[in-house]
Amino acid sequence: MRRYFARKLLTYVVTFFVAVSIDWAIPRFMPGDPVQGLISRMQAQPEAAEALEGYYTEAFGLDVPLWKQYLNFWVALFQGDLGRSIWQFPEPVSSLILHAVPYTLALLVPAIVLSFWAGNKVGALAARRKSLDDTVLPVGYVLTATPQMWLGIVLAYLFGSVWGIFPISGAYDYSLQPAWTLEFAASFLYHWFLPFSALFLVAFGGWAIGMRNMIIYELESDYAHYLESLGAPRRLVRKYAYRNAMLPQITGLALALGAVIGGALVIEVVFTYPGLGTMTLTAIQNRDYFLLQGIFLFIIVGVLIANFIVDCAYVLVDPRTRTGMQGHR
Amino acid sequence: MTGSRKTRTGIGLGLVFAIAFAVAASLGAGGAGAAQEKALALPRSQTLYTTGTNWGPYNNLNPFMNWTYVTGTVGLVYETLFRYDPLKDKFIPWLASSGKWSGKNTYVATMRSGVTWSDGKPFTAADVKFTIDKLKIPAHPQHTLWSTGLKSVTASGNKVTFSFGARPNYQEFDNYLFNIPIVPQHIWKSYNNNTIVSGNVNDVKKLVGTGPYTYHSGINSQQTFTWQKRDGWWATKALGMDVKPRYIVDIFNGSNAASLANLLAGKIDISNNFVPGINKQVGSKIQTYYKGKPYMLPGNTAWLFPNTTRKPLDDKAFRKALAHSINVDRIVTADYGNIVTKANPTGLLPIWNKYINQSVVKKHGFSYNLNRAKTMLRAAGYRDSDGDGFVENKDGSDINLSIIVPNGWSDWMTAIQIIADSAKGAGIKITPSYPDYNTLVDDRGNGRYDLVIANDRQVSNTPWTYYDYIFRLPILKNQTTVNYQRYSNPTAWKLTQALDKTPASNQKAMKTTLSRLQQIFLQDLPAIPLWYNGVWAQWNTSQWNGWPSSQGNQVLPAMWRNYLQMTGIEMLTRLKPAAS
Repeated sequence: MRRYFARKLLTYVVTFFVAVSIDWAIPRFMPGDPVQGLISRMQAQPEAAEALEGYYTEAFGLDVPLWKQYLNFWVALFQGDLGRSIWQFPEPVSSLILHAVPYTLALLVPAIVLSFWAGNKVGALAARRKSLDDTVLPVGYVLTATPQMWLGIVLAYLFGSVWGIFPISGAYDYSLQPAWTLEFAASFLYHWFLPFSALFLVAFGGWAIGMRNMIIYELESDYAHYLESLGAPRRLVRKYAYRNAMLPQITGLALALGAVIGGALVIEVVFTYPGLGTMTLTAIQNRDYFLLQGIFLFIIVGVLIANFIVDCAYVLVDPRTRTGMQGHR
Repeated sequence: MTGSRKTRTGIGLGLVFAIAFAVAASLGAGGAGAAQEKALALPRSQTLYTTGTNWGPYNNLNPFMNWTYVTGTVGLVYETLFRYDPLKDKFIPWLASSGKWSGKNTYVATMRSGVTWSDGKPFTAADVKFTIDKLKIPAHPQHTLWSTGLKSVTASGNKVTFSFGARPNYQEFDNYLFNIPIVPQHIWKSYNNNTIVSGNVNDVKKLVGTGPYTYHSGINSQQTFTWQKRDGWWATKALGMDVKPRYIVDIFNGSNAASLANLLAGKIDISNNFVPGINKQVGSKIQTYYKGKPYMLPGNTAWLFPNTTRKPLDDKAFRKALAHSINVDRIVTADYGNIVTKANPTGLLPIWNKYINQSVVKKHGFSYNLNRAKTMLRAAGYRDSDGDGFVENKDGSDINLSIIVPNGWSDWMTAIQIIADSAKGAGIKITPSYPDYNTLVDDRGNGRYDLVIANDRQVSNTPWTYYDYIFRLPILKNQTTVNYQRYSNPTAWKLTQALDKTPASNQKAMKTTLSRLQQIFLQDLPAIPLWYNGVWAQWNTSQWNGWPSSQGNQVLPAMWRNYLQMTGIEMLTRLKPAAS
């Protein structure tokens, strides 16, 4: 067990190191000087521009050699300092991200967890009943093939613009401010529903199809036939099949995380949801490399942590890995 | 069996935990201050919903950072000594009740009495001196006030005296009078220099201004920011002005489609965004400043800058032929749907019409005329010798000019396609491209481009800002904000400086200098004026009436930074709730 986790951990550390280094390098090797862009936006008079250039170059820590910038970056990183935003200067990147992240998580976590749970349940059910299969299969294929952004736009158009049932932008009503009140919570859920649905439905389709196929495959396997021939009740057989089918689904979850996060980012843009996605778009539009770098770093860390959780879950769910690691026979 | 049950419980617990975490995180989104903030929904009939200024989270309350501060920081909270009405070309005494030049080199402003900061402390001349002295910090965004010849500022009683060592730059100084926000000394004296020049100063408890609004909620939000009207705004008593909305909610600029849908649905009252196709929506519910064309007030000029250090753009004859080959009317109608207007050949905004020397324009001006452009090219020695339909340089080499605008600026991207297409008619080959903004700024500043569109200078009290933009010398290695075209004309630059040193009261001298500048400009054409970008503004009348209009209520319908202290604030005092 310890060796297994040590090996996993090492992989994560190396991945983290490489990903963060790439993340650091990309903005620095992009064309264009962010400080020049800022000064241009400030509309400074030429005689002031020089003083400002020096001031801001120093403020962004760009006045030292590249290798030193890289070292400084790592030192700052471990102090929780992701630098300052260019476009929102002098706001620290970490503060900007911190204020946006709750909204993204509020979309992302329920969408991942609920779609995984519901998708697997429905997929398993579909494999059992022909009538259900005939609807789940085509609907699932359509859903999983739909780009989240497009589905978001369709939902916003139908439920927002045409029928006016749900709001099309923001995370809560413009007349409210975040607070621990029922009114805010209701408004939040009301605004949350459409973007959540867009994320949920697409992921749901994928899980349902995956589970349906896996169950059918498992039911055709030797152990299932053997159990059946022993006269085990169908429910028991299916229970075993479900557990075995779950394993590839969990692996799939780890692989799908990146895609779901990407989906959440664009969904936020569609609904002007005040999370990381909206912030990423504005950061790109304003060439705020430091903010982008911070957001990507956050996503890298998030995906790694989520993957680690999935790894742990796998050990719990699959007794074979556990016994294998512990050396029991 | 027990093993699997444990496993399932484990996963189940994990799920519960994850969901609980998500809900808690989302509800905690308001941050630490949420609990103290007023949680009730704002009453619709007393709230004005605005959008079109803030493109990022609402986290900067530094009034000197006038390209990024939260909508209304200057205008609603911090105020300026004067305001300026560009439609009437009039300075409006604001925190200063009057100001005048006493002698050539001294300006004396009298502070208004009875003005109080929102924390109850009186506003004094010492606050003004404090603010102006802080501009001496070299990295201060408004540091160049001290390059207008200013030597010292003194406060005594209710008078603030600006003493100049040399002949003052009157025009520039006038511009500062309505652009420097005055901050309270008793609060700002505790801030260090870095905070003053580039801090976000967003401790809302220390947000103390003289203006009509104070903080309500929304700091650091990426969705909305709310101002609350305060009691005891000095202008109510002194000038009978009263801002009507009790709350102003500014909404983050998100997707264009959502913003337009919210405007049409009455969830947004005024949008200061560029909305393509708004001309088709204008009626009784959705309105603009003009009822018909051009719908919007002109806010700045979009210029085409030729890089005058490159062949053949170094040749004024070629530049003039180019100007004759551009069909701006097509841009105005096809690209903008008539919400902009074609620029005067001088590039000066309509508010400066009185300065335009019509006979100079008649003699040296230009307009779209392909035959004329062809004749001019031929006369100047640019011929199509290889028969490919495009003229060549005098030495026979091919001409292929690139024209750039920032990627994503869709109206400008369409505009340069139209320019390229229309110049083709005269045999000039132009290829559009769309680098990202920082790359464009870099290339533009360092003279690595052929043609670029820019519109940095906004409507202001003086055409000097425009000529400073076009003619400023010396040319540095990096031209960050002016003279991108690297055009060197010492005579023109001297005249521009002379204009700066002419007091606005001497209109005759101003006009003489300006008409000489216009003549040089039109003869050499170091920049080609294209169209006037609008002060984009469209509003919904279902909640509020009394909006600005070309008929009667002539004030700027803008919440934009630097516009509130022109006449934007007056818009807020003239609104009426639609119900009454």
